[in-house]
Amino acid sequence: MIKLKKMKHFDCKYYLNTDVFKGICKRDKNKINADDSACNNFEKAQKCKYCSNFTLTDSELGTCMTKYDAYPEMNAITCNDFK
Amino acid sequence: MTAKQDFLKCSSDVYNYYGTKPGKEIQAREVKKTPTQRVEKERQMYFETKSSASVEFPYWYTRRWEETEGDVPIIRRAEALKAGFEHLTPSVIPGELLAMRKANYMRGSYPMPWLSEAFFLSKEDDLYKEAQKAGKASADEVTTMGQGGGNVTKSAGNVISIAGKFGLRKEEMPILLKTAKKWFNKSVDDVGHKYEQLVPDYNTKEEIMRAVICMFDSGYTLPQGREVMNYYYPLQYGIEGIKNICKEKQNQSAGYTGMDRLYFYKAVYTMLEGLQTWIMNYAREALFMASLEKNKLQKKEFKDIAERLEWLSKNSPRTFHDALQLIWIFHVAVLNEDAISGLSPGRLGQVLYPFWKQDMEKGIIDKEKTLELLECMRMKFTELDCFASMGVVGGVLSGNTFNNLCVGGLDKYGNSAANELEMLILESAMSCDTPQPTLSMLYDEKLPEDFLLKGIECTKIGTGYPAWVNNRVAMEFLLNNFKKEGMQLEEARAWAIGGCLETSPGSWMPLELNGETYYIPGGSAPATSVGVHFISLPKVLEAVLFDGLDKRTGRRVYPAHGSKLDSYEEIWTIFKRYFSITVEVLTLTNNIQHDIWGKVSPSIINSMLKPDCLEAGKDISHKGCRYNRTFNVEICGGVNLVNSLASIKKNIFDAKNFTLQKLKAAIEANFGYLSALETGSYSLIEQVKTKNYMDWLKIHKLCLDAPKYGNDDKYVDTIFKEWQQWFSKMCENYRSLYDEPMYSCQISVSTHAPMGAVTLATPDGRLCGTTFADGSVSAYPGTDINGPYALFNSATCYDHALSQNSQLNMKIHPSVVKGREGSRKFLEMIRAYLRKGAFHAQFNIVDSRMLHDAQKNPEKYRGLMVRVAGFTQYWVELGKQIQDEVIARTEYEQI
Repeated sequence: MIKLKKMKHFDCKYYLNTDVFKGICKRDKNKINADDSACNNFEKAQKCKYCSNFTLTDSELGTCMTKYDAYPEMNAITCNDFK
Repeated sequence: MTAKQDFLKCSSDVYNYYGTKPGKEIQAREVKKTPTQRVEKERQMYFETKSSASVEFPYWYTRRWEETEGDVPIIRRAEALKAGFEHLTPSVIPGELLAMRKANYMRGSYPMPWLSEAFFLSKEDDLYKEAQKAGKASADEVTTMGQGGGNVTKSAGNVISIAGKFGLRKEEMPILLKTAKKWFNKSVDDVGHKYEQLVPDYNTKEEIMRAVICMFDSGYTLPQGREVMNYYYPLQYGIEGIKNICKEKQNQSAGYTGMDRLYFYKAVYTMLEGLQTWIMNYAREALFMASLEKNKLQKKEFKDIAERLEWLSKNSPRTFHDALQLIWIFHVAVLNEDAISGLSPGRLGQVLYPFWKQDMEKGIIDKEKTLELLECMRMKFTELDCFASMGVVGGVLSGNTFNNLCVGGLDKYGNSAANELEMLILESAMSCDTPQPTLSMLYDEKLPEDFLLKGIECTKIGTGYPAWVNNRVAMEFLLNNFKKEGMQLEEARAWAIGGCLETSPGSWMPLELNGETYYIPGGSAPATSVGVHFISLPKVLEAVLFDGLDKRTGRRVYPAHGSKLDSYEEIWTIFKRYFSITVEVLTLTNNIQHDIWGKVSPSIINSMLKPDCLEAGKDISHKGCRYNRTFNVEICGGVNLVNSLASIKKNIFDAKNFTLQKLKAAIEANFGYLSALETGSYSLIEQVKTKNYMDWLKIHKLCLDAPKYGNDDKYVDTIFKEWQQWFSKMCENYRSLYDEPMYSCQISVSTHAPMGAVTLATPDGRLCGTTFADGSVSAYPGTDINGPYALFNSATCYDHALSQNSQLNMKIHPSVVKGREGSRKFLEMIRAYLRKGAFHAQFNIVDSRMLHDAQKNPEKYRGLMVRVAGFTQYWVELGKQIQDEVIARTEYEQI
């Protein structure tokens, strides 16, 4: 279960980043900051940290399918092995 | 505006481009135009957007590279590129009509550790120390980055600043470091470094780099670029068509002699599959955006993008809009292959003309819609960032990417090539005045007057483009240098500018459309500016005066000459000796670096595009291009060298005003001033005296009063001519990796700032640390006192066709070129200069007081642009060294 309080726009499926600090909400096109708290429409983005192939090995790094280096925040929207 | 068009409205405060409240005394520029609302909205978003780096491309590239260990290098490279493209997160921004970008940010880019990874290692790392030892980081240390605009100058929150320019999400740094380390001893930089040390005089190279006599190596920093794109194959065949060609060629080469062809075609095929997935990922994202969209017009635009991309993922373009989108896709694809600056679209208006003509005849498009698409294209090019080290991005490029679009010139048959679409390109550069693409007018006497006046109208808005370039001089240079490779007059006409000002060979390719054949121009050579990059001439002279030492560090650079330097001829002879040592060792080490680049990390995408690589089955590094004599020797600070030689000749040997020992003491004392590094001001004006100032006043005045280049003064112009003729000739003594003679190249880009920063005072009276004169034939600021025509006479005292280019910057007050009469006067002045045989001139039409105001109040001038040396850049994104130099340039108040 995802705790909304800890979720940021940066983690949301509808977040379109324009730069490293900020972006646009794909739903309402408002400007939002990456690190601000997510709203009620939050849906988690497809990221490595949500993939069953990913294993966290320390706070910032992990492995993919137990053999590749990976990191939790990586976008996986284009990854065929995401599950 | 209808309700449906609401999504195009700008919601934020609109930035002003020339100062919100310029004082009454400041003269505004004459012409002000605005883009369509859609584009204005995008521009405002751009102004608020920071340069952002990401890791996904290098991560996937590296992952695939490791997986394919043991395979043929070019296949590994193709697989790695394919993986990179396939995993780029698509980003479709509402309102844009042209989709796709380098990375998943608006100003996105990423590090390329396969070229060099040392940059990402900590200062404690052994490799970093090794890089320091080789002097590689010296240029970084003396470079200042612009403090405003989109530069992420400091780390903040979850963002880490890299090189004072790029922001990287904190979460991505650990994987970036881990990825970078995987390239240790494998990157082009590391492998090249291993072998360049085998050059017998390698230690001299290290000392040259440490002294910043040379700005940077070219093999691993910016191995491609300064060249003209060729879009013919995708436009003619589409991606699936090119794949079919590869398949056919693959079948013809499998098992036969010259097996490298097989691997090349297989690599191109693989890479194209990656591009197809990349394009389709964007198409899907556009459909996703459409699914969320309530506004019908925006929804339709998202769907149109998706449909267009899906079509172009396989097929050749149907329309002008398709063609422009496809060109953009391939432009970005090449940029994602290597760290590249100066990838020029070339004569885009002539390449796209057949599609535009077709659409106009069918009524599919009108001029208004064309203009909007061209403005969208300008925004796309302006969004581009190049990720490289601070010394390269700040000290050389000033954050610019140099995508030069040329208009005019001649067609295949020798007639004016100017067309209506190019008129609209000029118009769009006025209505959407952004730095990219910069424009160059290929001036020829055959171009129509209204076309030239349109160019003048554009130049007058003060953005520095189009630069005015002499078509005939360029053709003469090309015929001189590429004749051996078969260049004829007809093909010389297909040239364009690659990068800021590099004359680049082209060819005519037969585009078939609706039963007609159009010969479209495009680049047919690799990077035309690799080899020896930026030798600081005043710094070489400093070494001559101080017996081969770098006085800033106290280290020996060249063998001691031991001469008393008791004649002007002796000084000139030793200067030539030291300069030759420099060119020789840098040629050899750079040849090795480029050889390694071709072996470890060959170009696949750009190779596929460049005639005749696809025909021959050879990539660029195997001389697959039609023209390959493209290595050059670049210099910086030529005018300060010449002025210094004139001062030495006059003051020490002719008039005997003082001795050489006295001059050297004055130089070491910086003529009684603080150095620019102490004052933080980099132009000769606004320097601070020390208490010893009076001790050196007389000698400093004599140095400043010595004959100066730019005044039609034979005394100094004779020295200038002798230098030019010797330089161009001596370059031919050195041979490139491709066993061709090198040629001279004379652009400073931004190097005149950091190279000036490490150079002591010079015998011409210039003070320690201040910026050199820009370009190659620009006068040192404030020293050209006899008017523009005297400057023109000085500049053309030698044959400009000897060199790949010459570069003249002029600053003109807006009131001088005001109105129609001012335009004609301006055109006549340019014409007069080019008719004297000059190669190039470019202009800042600006009131210097505005620049002073912009330096004090940068927040008021987010959109202000200036011409630096071959490129236009936002004022706030320039380092202070360059800002000071532009302010100090002589401002002409009459022509």
